[in-house]
Amino acid sequence: MLQRIREYIRVAVIHGPGPRIRPVWFDWRRQKHTVREVTYHWRHRTGDDLILHYSVTDGTALYELVYNTSEQVWVLENIDADKA
Amino acid sequence: MSKAATDRIIMHIDMNAFFASVEQQNKPELRGKPIAVIGSTKRTVITTSSYEARAFGVKTGMNTWEAKQKCPHIIFVIGDNRRYTWTSSQIVKLMMQFTPLVEVFSIDEAFLDLTGSMGLFGSAERISDLLKAEIKHHFGITCSIGIAPNKLLAKLASDMQKPDGLTVIRPEEVSQVLERVPAKDLCGIGRKTERQLELYGIKTCGDLGRFPVEILRKKFGIIGERLHLMGLGIDDSPVIPAEDADEVKSVGHSMTLERDIEERKEILKFLLQLSEMVGRRARRYNVWGKTVTLSIRYADFDTWVGKQETLTQHINQSEDIYRAAVAILDSLVLMQPVRLLGVRLSNLRYASNQLPLFPEDRKKAQLVEAMDEVNDCYGDFSVTFGSLLDEEKPKDKGSHVISPAWRPDGIRNVDVK
Repeated sequence: MLQRIREYIRVAVIHGPGPRIRPVWFDWRRQKHTVREVTYHWRHRTGDDLILHYSVTDGTALYELVYNTSEQVWVLENIDADKA
Repeated sequence: MSKAATDRIIMHIDMNAFFASVEQQNKPELRGKPIAVIGSTKRTVITTSSYEARAFGVKTGMNTWEAKQKCPHIIFVIGDNRRYTWTSSQIVKLMMQFTPLVEVFSIDEAFLDLTGSMGLFGSAERISDLLKAEIKHHFGITCSIGIAPNKLLAKLASDMQKPDGLTVIRPEEVSQVLERVPAKDLCGIGRKTERQLELYGIKTCGDLGRFPVEILRKKFGIIGERLHLMGLGIDDSPVIPAEDADEVKSVGHSMTLERDIEERKEILKFLLQLSEMVGRRARRYNVWGKTVTLSIRYADFDTWVGKQETLTQHINQSEDIYRAAVAILDSLVLMQPVRLLGVRLSNLRYASNQLPLFPEDRKKAQLVEAMDEVNDCYGDFSVTFGSLLDEEKPKDKGSHVISPAWRPDGIRNVDVK
């Protein structure tokens, strides 16, 4: 089931090659989740802000991580807790 | 067919079960399973379904309970329009590597004129292989491709093998292929025309091509001539890239509401939101319209009302569009609760209007301009009408519909969250 979270989180990412960004792990509620696979990514604009979306799985759930490139903040947007 | 007509190499690309395929990639658990994409948890109509679900008879437009009957283990997924529009835009960019002549037909279909690309890539089949591989590599999804001497036949060809097909109709094969193809399979022949043609005993394209054109002309007017040519597989229409496309004739937005509504106060709130969206887009592209149309689809999904009003002057301020839409609403008697609302501005003029003469109007124009500047910077509805601000954010209230006119760029690029 999809659960809306919308909380700021800490994310470790690999930048590059080029403009590519790949999340590798993130902290949420004092637990570290290692990204096993980025299953999909897309982007959109809100005003001047470019917003990057990453669907990632740690093997137990599917998480949507959102990066606002202007504000440089990561948000855990939602969790799909059915096995990913 | 003339030599020039047969010399063209046109490709039609149709993404297979596009929204459902994107969802299956997004969530690996869904891959290989029967899934259906729906608008929201409260909505019951299926937008599209995966091939696994289609195998059980699940179809677009079906109710969720009907789909459940056909396929008890079907999984319903709430769609994310932004995921689809971004993916579609990226796929169009991949297509542009092979030719600048790309005509986006809808969010999941496009035509490519490859006539001038043979020197670089060798053959249309090779381009098809490369494009399929690129789309698969970047997005994990498949498409069906048709290659033919014109758009009509290319689209017909792409429908022949699904999913992940490639069908080539060569100029010398056209009449043989069309002989047994049902006339209804041609793009542009709907259910009504199909029934009318059947009254003349026309079932296949072969029948249509042989049928006396004079009788078709008498029955269908100018369309009769076109039907005759379609039966023969003739279509001279060019592939028109976005930059050469005609100016848009209207600016509109519609949204399927999360639940059916009937209270006037609630309807007005959505109309104001839609008017603001239409007004914002019109102002961004400097267009002014004289005709406002209000579209309403009722809860039963089948019936809808569309009524328009032509004003004495061109407008593009949200408030003016809203006022016209409300006037139309007040002239209607709603027969059922409402499931979809749409507002459209047409009869367009592409020019800046003269500055308002009266100070009050000038102030209003300046206020709108200031609001637009803030919203351009911080996102739509960052500053908006007070009556839109209640417990929910305005942009979260309805799911916006991806219209067939959606395009990756320009005035037809609509944010459809």
